[in-house]
Amino acid sequence: MNHNLEEKLSALFDGEIDTNEVDEILDALEKDASLQKKLSQYALVSSSINNSNNIQSINSKKKSISYGFWFSNAITAAATVLITFVAINQFEFSRMGEDISAKNKLNIAMSSKEAKDIVSKVEENLVDHVMHVINNPDLDNSTPYDVDLRNVGYNRLSSDGRKFNKGEKNFILRIEKKNLGINKVRYWRHGDKIIHVVPLADGRVVTIYGNIDAQSAINVANSISK
Amino acid sequence: MNNNSNNDDFLLIKKAQNGHEGAFNFLMTKYYPRVYASLYSYTKSREDSEDLTQQTFVKVWQQIKTFRGDSAFFTWVYRIAINLAKNHFASSSSKKDKLNISSSDIDIEFKTFANPESDLMHDQSLKKIRAFIDKLPESLKTAFTLRESDGKSYEEIALITDTPIGTVRSRIFRARENILNFISEELDDES
Repeated sequence: MNHNLEEKLSALFDGEIDTNEVDEILDALEKDASLQKKLSQYALVSSSINNSNNIQSINSKKKSISYGFWFSNAITAAATVLITFVAINQFEFSRMGEDISAKNKLNIAMSSKEAKDIVSKVEENLVDHVMHVINNPDLDNSTPYDVDLRNVGYNRLSSDGRKFNKGEKNFILRIEKKNLGINKVRYWRHGDKIIHVVPLADGRVVTIYGNIDAQSAINVANSISK
Repeated sequence: MNNNSNNDDFLLIKKAQNGHEGAFNFLMTKYYPRVYASLYSYTKSREDSEDLTQQTFVKVWQQIKTFRGDSAFFTWVYRIAINLAKNHFASSSSKKDKLNISSSDIDIEFKTFANPESDLMHDQSLKKIRAFIDKLPESLKTAFTLRESDGKSYEEIALITDTPIGTVRSRIFRARENILNFISEELDDES
């Protein structure tokens, strides 16, 4: 790793960097997992030192966070969740039955050039997959019948092993060997349901269609990935 | 936005306000542990804290253009986090609707990493880290402590220690490197 770059990262963490050096570091961060790890470690150390009482109480009950679906190798970074936002274009909205106000809200939330570029790159096959799930939720020749999700609290609703529930949460599960060209969790809202598409490290794609939230879907997919 | 002493993150915030996702990711990575810890102290629930922390940063992204720099960035983020936590508990249905990101028009990409270093948060590890910091060479310890614990700027530290700013920057970096190496070795020893 570039020693000089790391020192600049440390300085940027402290807000002590020249304007003309910021882009260099942000560009490097985008590409360099070890630099991302370093940044998250700085944050964790800083938080640990400055919020020690809170941190200690967290850890009295703490379990390890483990999402990492799309990493075939375990990246040993500190506790960091980076969330970025990818907009869905209006074409998708209309196909998903969303109203135009969603687009307006989107424009408020996302007005960057980057976002617009990303919007233009939405992949058709991914949309087709989602539409297929919506229109033919039971048409599935890939998902095993014996998926067991009791370890994350979900019971099978039917003998075909594809419908699960926990209290008021229920969903249809699909596990397919499919290249959708994604390496990140994506979701769409459809009426009162959400379709989560989660790529696993082994090349399978988990699709979860129901009224469950993102975190629960991630837990389910994480369970399957194990 | 005011470029005042409250905002060490001025450049990153400006970029994030212009839609730069990398700058926003930097800010989120920097403040995620602090927001999480603050929410945990409020909710006493790991699950709620995780959900609320994620919701907080979704909201931060949506509203970052409204941040004017009148307070420190973390103060502003913290206010959002606590308001979300209050609403969470005020809503009778909130328990049934985790991570209720109202913005159905936003697709969220989680870039998440495993966290073996979370062990460093353990009480014993914290004590060891503090002890290690105490044993750092005086010049590194002073610069690091003035920065991390006292929140001094590099310029202030340079004045206090009568050293050039470049040296301050280097010392703080070296202190961090030493601490991370120590943590890494500690975890290796314990695992």
